[in-house]
Amino acid sequence: MADLIIIGSGPAGLSAGITAAECGLSVLILDEYLKPGGRLLGQLYEEPGGKWWNGIEETRKLEKRAAALDLDIRLGTAVSNIEKEDGLWHVYTDRETFTAPSLLLATGAAESPVAIPGWTLPGVMSVGAAQVMTNVHRVKPGSRGVIIGVSVLSSAIAMELNIAGIDVAAIALPKMNEVNKDGANPAGVMDSLLHVSHMAPSKFVQFGSKLMQNDFMKKLGITFYPKGGVKMWGIPVMLRKAVIEICGTEQVEGVILATVTTNGQVVPGSEQRIDADFVCIAGGLYPLAELIGLTGCPFHHIDELGGYVPLHNEQMETPVDGLYVAGNITGIEGAKVAMSQGVAAALSIARNFGRQGLDDILREAVEYVGETRRKAHIQFHPEVAEGRRKMQQYWEEYEAAQERIAPEEPVVEKEVLQGV
Amino acid sequence: MTDKDMIICRCEEVTYGELVETANEYGCNARELKLRTRAGMGYCGGRTCRNMVDAVACTVTERDSKQVTLKYQPPVRPVHFGDLGAIGHD
Ligand SMILES: Cc1cc2nc3c(=O)[nH]c(=O)nc-3n(C[C@H](O)[C@H](O)[C@H](O)COP(=O)(O)OP(=O)(O)OC[C@H]3O[C@@H](n4cnc5c(N)ncnc54)[C@H](O)[C@@H]3O)c2cc1C
Repeated sequence: MADLIIIGSGPAGLSAGITAAECGLSVLILDEYLKPGGRLLGQLYEEPGGKWWNGIEETRKLEKRAAALDLDIRLGTAVSNIEKEDGLWHVYTDRETFTAPSLLLATGAAESPVAIPGWTLPGVMSVGAAQVMTNVHRVKPGSRGVIIGVSVLSSAIAMELNIAGIDVAAIALPKMNEVNKDGANPAGVMDSLLHVSHMAPSKFVQFGSKLMQNDFMKKLGITFYPKGGVKMWGIPVMLRKAVIEICGTEQVEGVILATVTTNGQVVPGSEQRIDADFVCIAGGLYPLAELIGLTGCPFHHIDELGGYVPLHNEQMETPVDGLYVAGNITGIEGAKVAMSQGVAAALSIARNFGRQGLDDILREAVEYVGETRRKAHIQFHPEVAEGRRKMQQYWEEYEAAQERIAPEEPVVEKEVLQGV
Repeated sequence: MTDKDMIICRCEEVTYGELVETANEYGCNARELKLRTRAGMGYCGGRTCRNMVDAVACTVTERDSKQVTLKYQPPVRPVHFGDLGAIGHD
């Protein structure tokens, strides 16, 4: 039996596994995908200063360190359930059931779809799927695509498709309805792009950020934003056009674009059809909480972190005994933050296992997470630091409440919830 | 195709129109919307439509920020019938 099971071999899980093994723990890493690296694998972009961030290279570095430590990584192993019994975690997979006293969940993020008529046609995929096909499997998702959803992520992936020689006809907003709210509002989208623009890895999101510093200029900016879009690497980025329908009978054949007002209402008569054989949906990322949702760990919905996030502290501990989190499951951020969180989590686990002399490096590791966040080139939400502050506050409130209930035992072990 | 006929939950074939109408009629939260329409209760366990169902419910109710309204249930991945016996030994 391992001391620690890590679910997820993305940057967070791999970094945690390496650090935990260096502390002398026996570690088992499980991942359902056929390669280690998680979402790191697909990443490829130029950082300000001209250095390229190549996720395949970064994964290789982690894999080498893992191999040197003889880490046990089981790929193609999907975890379908976790339960705690008599102080041991039981991890059910499609292969076998594993047990360990400590469990680190590093399951990353999932992508949200958008609701546009035709979104269920073959040939419609998430931007992440297009990224994995192109950068990891080296398969073109199609010959001419349209990306729906304007964000740092979608502009980065548009550029990656462009590098691979795939024609991207347009990046446009989704149409406004009860599902696609924030992402369909031109003024709101522009505002959030401008907030992250100074550090963004793409020229598009850096555009005009100096010009747009006050609200008046922003309003003017979106009012006069060219209807034909602003070109980025030859791809029109359309903040004043929305895809109102994806067309095709057996598969994607094109999309219908329409001009929208500054608050996202379609201007009648402005519809135009453009041809495409694939469509990518960028509806945003949210922490993938399905496994931790089975443990009874409390949650908080924090917009700045991307949705429902399990309660945790800066040492990556949850209130559930022996349960830890790291990476995008704690909030949507870049790969470097995920790695630093993985290291902090592993040090916490080793310390709680009774390894001596780790207090100082754990404190440094926690500080390093904050530093990495401040220096991050890629930011998914402009107020992520505020989201982190909220989580820390919820943690403190939780601890104070527990102390009122049981002064000598601040962290109460939660019973595992059984299915209804 | 109109928004009304657009499928939101593919597994249970629940449309946008059905979700919006049900939410408006009952003013229900995401869990109730799921139970009334079966959206998110199919084969994939709501992996794809969860956020869309949640978004529709949030147009008529306050979000419960301390609880995942659309609760997660094991198994979170499809499992073979043969393996199912090994899960949850009540
Ligand atoms: C489409 C997309 C593009 C992104 N692009 C960038 C980018 O360009 N730059 C950037 O910095 N960040 C990007 N990110 C953010 C990215 O999530 C982080 O950079 C980083 O990969 C998060 O690391 P992680 O270890 O938390 O999770 P991940 O890298 O997502 O790894 C999680 C792992 O857990 C595994 N897993 C999940 N559930 C199970 C289960 N039930 N059983 C077994 N295994 C499971 C998955 O297979 C996966 O390998 C992107 C994210 C997405 C979704």
